[in-house]
Amino acid sequence: MPILAMLAVMLSVATILITWSVMGGFLKTLVNSGRSLVGDVVITWPNVGFAHYEDLIERLEADPMIEGATPIIETFGLVQLPDDRIELITIKGIDPSSYGTVTNYNDTIWWKPIEEPTPKDRDRSDVRLDPELREIMSVFESNANTLTRFDPASGETQDAGVLGVEVTGLNIRTEDGIYDPRTTAFRALPDGGIERVPGFMPSGGSVGLTVLALDSKGRPVDPVTRTIPIANEFQSGIYEVDTSTLIVPLGVMQRMLRMDEARRVEIVESENPFEMERDPDTGEMRPKRREIVGVDPARATNVLVKAAKGVQVDDAQARCKEIYAEFAAAHRGDVPGPMQMENQIRTWEDLNATMINAVKKETGLVLFVFGIVSFTTVFLVLAIFWSMASEKTKDIGILRALGASTGGIAWLWIRYGTVIGLIGAVFGTALGYVIVSNINAIHDWLGRTFGLTIWDPRQYYFIEIPSEVDLSKAIIVFIVGVLTCVLGSLLPAWRSAKMDPVKALRFE
Amino acid sequence: MSETGTILNVTNVRKTYTLGRVKVPVLHGVDLDVRAGEWIAVLGASGSGKSTLLHLMGGLDRPDRVKGERASISFMDREITSLGSHALDKYRARDVGFVFQFYHLLPELDVMSNVCVGGMIRHGRLGYRTNRKSIQGRASELLGRFGLGDRLGHRPAELSGGERQRVAIARALINEPRVLLADEPTGNLDQKTGDSILDTISEHRASAGLTMVMVTHDERIAARADRVIRLVDGRVQEDPGL
Repeated sequence: MPILAMLAVMLSVATILITWSVMGGFLKTLVNSGRSLVGDVVITWPNVGFAHYEDLIERLEADPMIEGATPIIETFGLVQLPDDRIELITIKGIDPSSYGTVTNYNDTIWWKPIEEPTPKDRDRSDVRLDPELREIMSVFESNANTLTRFDPASGETQDAGVLGVEVTGLNIRTEDGIYDPRTTAFRALPDGGIERVPGFMPSGGSVGLTVLALDSKGRPVDPVTRTIPIANEFQSGIYEVDTSTLIVPLGVMQRMLRMDEARRVEIVESENPFEMERDPDTGEMRPKRREIVGVDPARATNVLVKAAKGVQVDDAQARCKEIYAEFAAAHRGDVPGPMQMENQIRTWEDLNATMINAVKKETGLVLFVFGIVSFTTVFLVLAIFWSMASEKTKDIGILRALGASTGGIAWLWIRYGTVIGLIGAVFGTALGYVIVSNINAIHDWLGRTFGLTIWDPRQYYFIEIPSEVDLSKAIIVFIVGVLTCVLGSLLPAWRSAKMDPVKALRFE
Repeated sequence: MSETGTILNVTNVRKTYTLGRVKVPVLHGVDLDVRAGEWIAVLGASGSGKSTLLHLMGGLDRPDRVKGERASISFMDREITSLGSHALDKYRARDVGFVFQFYHLLPELDVMSNVCVGGMIRHGRLGYRTNRKSIQGRASELLGRFGLGDRLGHRPAELSGGERQRVAIARALINEPRVLLADEPTGNLDQKTGDSILDTISEHRASAGLTMVMVTHDERIAARADRVIRLVDGRVQEDPGL
């Protein structure tokens, strides 16, 4: 019977540890993925953006708490895909050289040569492993790093974009967790015909991009459309991002949104309303006006900041606010003041709060449910100990006859419960650790032996079941496991202590 | 001990058991003096309250409280009926030893541990650690004297009835009690083994000056005692004839 109690504690501890580790690993992987294209701190002034961002970046990078910073423009637009579908898309205009140093952009690039297959790709079917495609994959990777693509027709290198790997729907995710690209796609023609178009985007594919340009006051001006050749595709690990993001060069976005450097013109009507003059640009006649010409500097909507090694994100955020205040003072009137930016300088955790909190709450809920299930262990231990106390009634009578106190008898059961709890918790923790450490191997074995697939990479975004045994979690689960058993032993202990020794001795 | 040499005194003790709604009176005002070093045999029919009297004397149970009547059990002039449960536990651990008809050994423990468990209870866990050697030495000595020196590592299930009862006697004596309370110690044994057990107890009693109250229904065994009392209708009758 004590073995049954020990097993109950062991299974309860192992179950909670496995659940917590898998959910914790899932959260950690998700969070790291969410961080991959964001950096540590983001300084944002949406829509119209802010000027003199190069100066801000210079000031940030001069600080020892900051490792690097990069400007981006983040906006929304419409993308026309090879099969003519039009989708709403998030556009990130980046500076490829600095973006890679602040974010994990380079790691997210999908089409590149790889040496080792991904964890589940046992038959090495990933095209990126193919030695014959190595050279072209290297070109794709290089294109992604520079956001350019060579156009053989014109003989020019063009600005290009990098699409989220799930945007086109042309990359089929296999059960091995890799992508099987379709080489061709089809678009429907008005006459009922079908046209074949390149399906593998890095190799000649392009998308049509439409954005709404805003003037310097943030008012919409004109929709601007441009064809963007696709240099590569990326996988950040966040489905939301990978299905609806296009990365393009910062300069392209600045020009399309009219956020690039421009002349500033102030029009003052002449005293004589009929006076004419020749436009120096066009040579055409126009009503005479006075122009004060200056320069509107280029703008960016965000500056992403990477904290130096060992610097906490919150500390980096506080430092960014201080640096921004100095920057705003130097460009008073041209950029938003520090008060306006107070809530616009945020950490990556703030930005992903919705997603992180959702998973955290989910983890909490699952743990709560498993906690309730595991709480039944208390009653299981109680039932087992109760039964043992009944079985040992006579022994309790003997001990009382020999002078054992009621407290001593109760303590005997509690100590017994503690020892069983300790043994159960040790084995449960060990079992949980072994299962979590080998969860993917166990999962694969279940698949091979019983055809049971719980974690299908085609449905889940991570190839393998993410898991991580955290020492503090293991300690908490261990202590709870022991307490469960102690708790279960309390009532039988009280019952034994209160037993009438004479009745106990006469018990048959 | 009192001036008269009384080690245990029972005065006007009543005991009634409640079985459901029915009250069953067992002892109706028992008076008994047990002198130090004396061996008293308590005879009586089945259900006459012999074991109840033994349990009351050993502090395992408490007598009835009757308004207007004073009932007491005293050990060496100390009234044990008024003791708190903790003091009563100490009394059982130090001053009296119990021997039962059905041995009541702990089946999971070996012979040595079964005997030492009394020492553990008396001294507590820490005290036992300090006194372990002396307790184990005394246990070995007792078991050796009772002919069980080569059975120390055996479990009760591996022993004969006589051997088990010897272990139970050794356990009762481990804390050197002043009084041994034996409830039909040979009742479950054949005559030869029973006699041998009684010889063992007798020898030890003589050498240690032990007081013994032994419940029995066997007149032949009672005849070996210094004094015999009978429980009739819940009261004590001295039996000078035996």
